[in-house]
Amino acid sequence: MPPKKRLSAARPEKTGAEPELVMPLRFGNDPLLWASWLYYEEGMTQGDIARTIGVSRATVISYLADARTRGLVNISIETEHLKTLSISKALKEHFGLRDCLVIPGEGGDRSLIDRLGAAGAQVLQGILRSGDTVGVGWGRTVLASAQALNIDNLQDVRVIQATGTTSSHVPFTPAACATKMAAAIRAECVPISAPAIVSSPELRDILTSEQLVKEQLASLDQLNCIVFGIASLRPNSTLHSSGFFHDDPKLRDAYSTAVGAIAGRYINERGKLVKGPLEDRTIGITLDQLARVKQRIAIAGGTDKVPAILATLHGGYVNILITDATTGLGILSADGKTGSIRPEKTVTEPAESIKRTRVKKFLNEPEDAVDESLEGAVLEYAQYLKPARKSNRALVAQDGPRAGKVGLVIGGGAGHDPYFYGYVGKGLADAVAIGNIFASPPPMPILECTRAANGGAGVVYLFGNYSGDILNFEMAAEMAKREGIDVRTVITTDDIASSRKEDRESRRGVAGNVFVFKIAGAACDQMLPIERVEELARKANRETYTVGVALEPCSMPETRRPTFLIGENEMEVGVGVHGEPGIARQPLVSANDTADIMVDRILAEMAPERGDEVALLVNSLGATPMMELLIIARRVRQRLKARNVQVARSWTGSYCTSLDMSGVSISMMKLDAELKALLDHPCNAASFQIR
Amino acid sequence: MKQVEIDDIVAFLREAATRMKEAADYLGQLDGEIGDGDHGYTMSRGFSAIVRALNEIDVQSHDMSTLFRSCAESFLEAVGATPGPLYASGLIAAGDFAGNRSALDADEALMLLVAISDGIGARGKAIAGDKTMMDVWLPVVQTIKNLRQENAPLEVILSEIRASASRGVESTRSMVAMRGRAARLGGRSLGHIDPGAASAAILIESFANTLEQRAL
Repeated sequence: MPPKKRLSAARPEKTGAEPELVMPLRFGNDPLLWASWLYYEEGMTQGDIARTIGVSRATVISYLADARTRGLVNISIETEHLKTLSISKALKEHFGLRDCLVIPGEGGDRSLIDRLGAAGAQVLQGILRSGDTVGVGWGRTVLASAQALNIDNLQDVRVIQATGTTSSHVPFTPAACATKMAAAIRAECVPISAPAIVSSPELRDILTSEQLVKEQLASLDQLNCIVFGIASLRPNSTLHSSGFFHDDPKLRDAYSTAVGAIAGRYINERGKLVKGPLEDRTIGITLDQLARVKQRIAIAGGTDKVPAILATLHGGYVNILITDATTGLGILSADGKTGSIRPEKTVTEPAESIKRTRVKKFLNEPEDAVDESLEGAVLEYAQYLKPARKSNRALVAQDGPRAGKVGLVIGGGAGHDPYFYGYVGKGLADAVAIGNIFASPPPMPILECTRAANGGAGVVYLFGNYSGDILNFEMAAEMAKREGIDVRTVITTDDIASSRKEDRESRRGVAGNVFVFKIAGAACDQMLPIERVEELARKANRETYTVGVALEPCSMPETRRPTFLIGENEMEVGVGVHGEPGIARQPLVSANDTADIMVDRILAEMAPERGDEVALLVNSLGATPMMELLIIARRVRQRLKARNVQVARSWTGSYCTSLDMSGVSISMMKLDAELKALLDHPCNAASFQIR
Repeated sequence: MKQVEIDDIVAFLREAATRMKEAADYLGQLDGEIGDGDHGYTMSRGFSAIVRALNEIDVQSHDMSTLFRSCAESFLEAVGATPGPLYASGLIAAGDFAGNRSALDADEALMLLVAISDGIGARGKAIAGDKTMMDVWLPVVQTIKNLRQENAPLEVILSEIRASASRGVESTRSMVAMRGRAARLGGRSLGHIDPGAASAAILIESFANTLEQRAL
């Protein structure tokens, strides 16, 4: 993609320009402006302009030059492209490459593989010459390059498959890549008529001494160009999915120092060959052979590939690299090279807002914030809760646990007030364990809650899907089980923006938890057995959908600085309750449009039928006032009405916050008769009552 | 062969606590780049709690299993968040490995590190390349296993363990964080050392140093 000029410099053929001679008024008697306009906007040639305004061509040239010096004409290159240029220059210099092509990190609808493939095709177009012998590796990007390439004016080009073949349950096998590439450039294709990996070194020796295979492999010594991909050893890499690397613990041990693979050979972080049991069973180009090829083109992108690409660069196996801006920048910073690259100028972190002064807060000693606020909560909400033992980090409902009732224990990090203490009371949670700000409580307070909530019918743990919470609740559950308490765990995952639908289990738990607490608490209060409580909590979680949008980040008491930055005219759609990035950083839009973005996503996943009922929660992330929440809530209701979805019950206010984050989240739980009855069951807690 | 006794384990844990305290600022700085900056303080607080517990109990009345278990409990009580359960699980696994013995052959004592790593791995389920402490533990464990198989002398193994740990720390620079708070940075975590990996290396070095001084 060529750099774009603000004034288009494309000059279509234009002949016979009519002499104007009288300068149109709009140019304000400035011949430089007139000439510039005709040249850059009208696309006329210098000769035509000379005739049009009645001066010599030499004068036109000097007009145009003066216009540039006087700043009348600015030629600008789009920021995104400028960034790719500076990254590719830095990569080229830092690693001593012959050349480097960096494509923009973001590319709209086209996948990274497709865009890298197109870039690979563009590079090959410029490099390949008649008579070349081209080695072709395999993988998604190599195949994408072959698919994007079409050259029909070369003669006597040969394409050599760089490795033996692999099983064909993926479309990008060595054979497919070589065949496609050969077809794209009208070349003769030389396959390797043997598997890439055989069962023993002896078999490899036998196969490679077969005349046909021997000749095919010998042609790998004649390559003057090779194009290949770089495999990462991450679990979802091509290498794993294509069965190249078996899921064999012995092999994994042998290759534990490998960070990547090229042409089926494993390399460590310095780019040295990792010798393992596969090495002597592999048929294909060796690393030494590869390093001798004059033009070594690697096409690879994606930040998970950074270690592998870096190793390939360190090993010197590539001298023409094609990657994307995000990966390129990652490679440079991973190799300790950051200084001379212009700081990545993204809209996400405008430099000026870094200078923002400390956020003002009502605090004494910042490290006492959590304990002091819990002290306040225990006093303020004494009618609902009390410490389980001595510490306010484990609070139990005044009117909750009772014999024969399943206990409900919730908890997590502080900073989400009135989460979680506001949901402790009759018909809701029996006890709550609270950690430090945004950090899980340790197992002991959770265990104290468990003991306090245990009425002999078992205890259900209910908390959001975060690694720290999972670990600590898991340990507490183990301890409780040793004490003979039956503990079940339900992890909430209502944040539909935190990962794809198919990946529901890895989603985070956010404000929609309130509904899950409510359903589980009601089930406990109705004295249902633990299996039912667990089942209903899971059902409530499954039916609950939340999307958040942040306008401003929150700031931690210790630092009093924003934990991340959102640009002046931006918002973060899909933000998490600790500032986790969401689906998109996008330009700020009106309240209605913001509500629509969120409702669209929720409805798309929830897919309610006409006449379905939902529970609705419009929640402030901390700093957003009621006025704005109600504007959003009004629009949400308009949308639901238009969809013929009934709002059975709704709440608007601060229910699950993120310190002082400015933003809103919308949660909906799709109701059936069972959930609706449980939702209507009375409850009485500091932040949530149904009478 | 020399034996590693309860006293030696206590010496190792004290050494680790001192080193964690010294490194608290450095670890905090690393964490400030990709996390919330409290890792140095957290690790230092956890190991200080272990030392306090060791001061309070009669260590000689303990076997390896009960010693490691009480260390795990003190650590866990002092540290919640993520490192708490991870290291507590590691220490408990080390205790389970040594059982009710009060001494191990120096060579076998290396397997305590393997047990700690297994305990952490089973709890946290991070895999190689996730940019976590496992990117130090896993290569160190591999080094121990390989060199023990080759019957390498203890001093060689100890120095290789240290080298492997520091390579592991460096290797996290080129990784994208997949777990914990740093994961939300995505590609922006590149170029930064994982603080959990750095503190794991400090613990492993403390172990190697202690064995070198007391068991060679």
